[in-house]
Amino acid sequence: MNVLELDRITKRFGRVTVADELTLSVRQGDAVGVVGPNGAGKTSLFGMISGDLRPDAGEVRFDGHRVTLLDPSVRCRLGIGRTYQVPRPFLGLSVFENTLVAAQQGARTRGRASYALAARVLGETGLADLAGRPAAQLGLLQRKRLELARALATRPKLLLLDEVAGGLTDPEVTELVALITAAREREGLAVLWIEHVVRALTATVDRLICLAGGRIIGDGGPLEVLASPAVKEVFLGTADALTEAEDRDA
Amino acid sequence: MRYIAGFIVILLAGVPYMLGPAVEQPLVTLFSLVAMASWWNLLAGFTGLTSFGQQAYLGVGAYGLYVLALAGIDPFVAIPLAAVLAGVVALPVSFPVLRLSGGHFAVATWVLAEIFRLSVTLSPAIGGNTGVSLPGISGYLPLLRQAVVYWWALAIAAGSVLAVWLLARGRYGLAARAVGDDPVTAASSGIRVARIRRWAYCLAAAGTGAVGALLFTHTLYVQPGSIFGVQYSVLMMFMVLIGGLGTIEGPVAGALIFFALQQTLAAHGPWYLVLLGAVAVAVTLFAPRGLWGHLGRPLFPIAHLQER
Ligand SMILES: Nc1ncnc2c1ncn2[C@@H]1O[C@H](COP(=O)(O)OP(=O)(O)OP(=O)(O)O)[C@@H](O)[C@H]1O
Ligand SMILES: [Mg+2]
Repeated sequence: MNVLELDRITKRFGRVTVADELTLSVRQGDAVGVVGPNGAGKTSLFGMISGDLRPDAGEVRFDGHRVTLLDPSVRCRLGIGRTYQVPRPFLGLSVFENTLVAAQQGARTRGRASYALAARVLGETGLADLAGRPAAQLGLLQRKRLELARALATRPKLLLLDEVAGGLTDPEVTELVALITAAREREGLAVLWIEHVVRALTATVDRLICLAGGRIIGDGGPLEVLASPAVKEVFLGTADALTEAEDRDA
Repeated sequence: MRYIAGFIVILLAGVPYMLGPAVEQPLVTLFSLVAMASWWNLLAGFTGLTSFGQQAYLGVGAYGLYVLALAGIDPFVAIPLAAVLAGVVALPVSFPVLRLSGGHFAVATWVLAEIFRLSVTLSPAIGGNTGVSLPGISGYLPLLRQAVVYWWALAIAAGSVLAVWLLARGRYGLAARAVGDDPVTAASSGIRVARIRRWAYCLAAAGTGAVGALLFTHTLYVQPGSIFGVQYSVLMMFMVLIGGLGTIEGPVAGALIFFALQQTLAAHGPWYLVLLGAVAVAVTLFAPRGLWGHLGRPLFPIAHLQER
């Protein structure tokens, strides 16, 4: 069964088309990687799934509901959890409170159960020691972890990860991959993961899509997609280097 | 320390027996400041809604009391009813103003208060521009009336601080603080932002309405030109900012500081305003979290701590 279906969604910002009759489905429990050059519309796609952006045309269906016009809070409660590429924690709240509020409002837990959920997620994301810190004091990498913690605390059925691995060292990437794999196994959640660190993706996902100019130009097994000529062509700069590195490894 | 606060309230309740009207009168002013500031802080400090239009609900509270008293209800009994009325009036108003945020919201609330003021000015049935005096109060002997006003003022101040604390430290308050920090993240974390803001707006209106009604029983006369004055919102902002935005103690500290400045310096005319301005500038520059935010430890904590 499909947990997410995008049906010919279109979105333009002035003359920039970030989604061009884009159609995509994600099955329950699937992990799908998303790559694409800068400005391809990856983050915008997440915005239309989570509700921060409204498509100009087309329909978004989640878990059997038409959610195209629903508020982000409602979608979150239905089971869509997202992280932001540029982390946006609640700066005036502590790390624990950031997670707790997501557990209480997103996962609709109360009292002790909400405290337990928040504490568990902080443990999983390696933030337990920072629980009492104001989020404003965290550095970028810790903020990225907090994004992940907050998204997980809403107990999603679909987790949208927007470049959570950028800037991590190799062992940290391995840790992150393990964490996400564990969450998938435990909760059976589906993951859509935008990442320029292709190594993290290939270790986690069974399927990779490549976005460019608001269209899907590659969809399939990760290595196969990365090797396709159309995908190779759109990649320039850093992503290109990564693909090459991947080729060398292969 | 919290018990000391309770003890102080009990001591203050004895003022009418021990010290009489000369002390009661200024304290009523102080208490109304504490209450106003606390409710403004629920809006601006916790929920991120900086309103310049809370005087609208001072007015609704006062004129609501007038209408209720005219209908034969004892004015002191009618104070809570006037508060509820202000909260109810705020509900439909919240729909247009809460579509806006930041500076637009601030200006919209101000414009709205002006509309309220004009509507009263243009309504001869409730006194128009000249204002009205409070009916149904002549049955009280002055000494008793002043004492009851004082007790109401104390109850409203203590009740407001307590209510805002209970709200802020609970599930609602955590969500409200998140909304104040980042409404976008809040929504995508499952927080129903509009609902959180609406509750804050209506509850603050009710609390402010209680203060408006109280001020009417204190002055016995109300005029649209004064009760709907924007200076009240400026005052609320001043007190909360110098005391400490988003803390429970901040508005109380701010009210005390303002009250002390007013009592000692009001005789010096314009210099008093210059000094107020200087204090505001100094605090924003050197203690942006307000005096309590920098100096005090919270007596009324709102943080959620992880259980160990
Ligand atoms: N709110 C907006 N208003 C106008 N233009 C926007 C807006 N959001 C995104 N864009 C534009 O849409 C295009 C796609 O942006 P998006 O953030 O979705 O790309 P992306 O694939 O996530 O890129 P990156 O890899 O750099 O994160 C960009 O050209 C961007 O400038
Ligand atoms: Mg992006």
